[in-house]
Amino acid sequence: MTYTVQIDTRACAAHGDCVQTAPSVFELDDVARVIGTGPDELLFAAAEACPSAAIALIDTATGELVYP
Amino acid sequence: MRIHQNGRRPAADGIVIAGGGLAAQRCAETLRRCGSEEPIRILCAEPHRPYDRPPLSKELLAGGKDPRALSFREPEWYERSAVDLLCGVAARRLSPGDRRVETSDGSVLRYRKLLIATGGRPRTLAPLLGYQNVLTLRSLDDALELQGRLSSGPRLAIVGAGFIGLEIASTARGLGADVTVIEAAPAPLQSVLGESIGAWFARLHDQHGVDMRLGHTVARVHAQAGTVRGLTLADGSTVAADLIVVGVGTDPDVDWLAGSGIGLPGGVKVDPNGRSSCPDVFAAGDAAATYEAGSGTYLPGSHWEAAARQAAGAARLMLGLDPGRPPAAAFWTDQYGLRIQYLGRSRPGDGVAVDGDPEANDFTATYTRAGRVVAVLAVNRPRALPAARALIERENP
Repeated sequence: MTYTVQIDTRACAAHGDCVQTAPSVFELDDVARVIGTGPDELLFAAAEACPSAAIALIDTATGELVYP
Repeated sequence: MRIHQNGRRPAADGIVIAGGGLAAQRCAETLRRCGSEEPIRILCAEPHRPYDRPPLSKELLAGGKDPRALSFREPEWYERSAVDLLCGVAARRLSPGDRRVETSDGSVLRYRKLLIATGGRPRTLAPLLGYQNVLTLRSLDDALELQGRLSSGPRLAIVGAGFIGLEIASTARGLGADVTVIEAAPAPLQSVLGESIGAWFARLHDQHGVDMRLGHTVARVHAQAGTVRGLTLADGSTVAADLIVVGVGTDPDVDWLAGSGIGLPGGVKVDPNGRSSCPDVFAAGDAAATYEAGSGTYLPGSHWEAAARQAAGAARLMLGLDPGRPPAAAFWTDQYGLRIQYLGRSRPGDGVAVDGDPEANDFTATYTRAGRVVAVLAVNRPRALPAARALIERENP
């Protein structure tokens, strides 16, 4: 499965946990942004690590929201 | 209230999660995502679905957040994921020998693996017990009660300048309350962050109009008809107050483990991935006392990130999977619109080097011990965090 990563930039409070968890996927400016991709488990771990629940994962094939 | 009943009571014992906060939720989610099809039952003592606590002292208290938005998941998620969420049902007794948990509704649950995630409860102060205007803050209901009381513009006295006390002070000032903070130590957070950073916090609150009474304890409580009217401090000074919040830390909520052989007054002793001395029993979050290799001691409680990761690690271990490496300790606090983040763990006596401008509330403080960086505090500098984290993890393997 491939997931599309979306960041709710209004919710993102720049905690930086996603960058720590998945540095190949996220980078931190004033808010986090997506710079790449990675294995599903890593994307989930990053999404879960976000204290602001600002990261959504969408199944690229079906468009279904899989996280949160 | 049973949100979801997983069909017929399953023959397999499955996973029982005692507690219904962040750690409980994260454990259940990790189990399902890692492919577990076992029954999962969550004993959530509160009437609410598992919800996120950090906003309770901040956005929710300020009135800017719908309480329902704090829930991690909608009811449908529990149904879809076949997670049996028992709201209003608390764990009452553990018999690890025969793997049974007795609950407050009189049932007995057998488990294959158990997560103890019953959290903590606020400490109280004996002289301030039993008054209608003395509150603590831990749960959503506590926060809604406090929010209601703050709306009348009271004179608020906060006993204890820990994170909860300081966050409430910040939020209450934003709502226009008169706020006094009483703290026994000479600076807020001194035992966690050291004297100089503690002094910075004191100045921050002073600048925002909080009356900081540092190095003081409550000597006398003046009350009338069950209502506290004021406090006299040990030096004879007084504080007039309409509302008192006690924020002097939490104790692990592990009384229900009495007699089980697991769970001492300081919490259930576990490793960073939640493993206890009993092979089928794990603990995470504030109910746990987690071993820290650096100091060789068990540290009480844990912050949001540690609780979440510890619960996820425990879930993976329950399934025989590699839990991964536990990350550096981290927490954050928001006060007066400042994002304050802290990584690692410092001790009294560590060196502190400040980079930036504390007066302008824009700096990092780096804590060192024997030439190693052991912790970093960043004020309004989130972009400094990823590099700091990498450095701390590299220097403290």
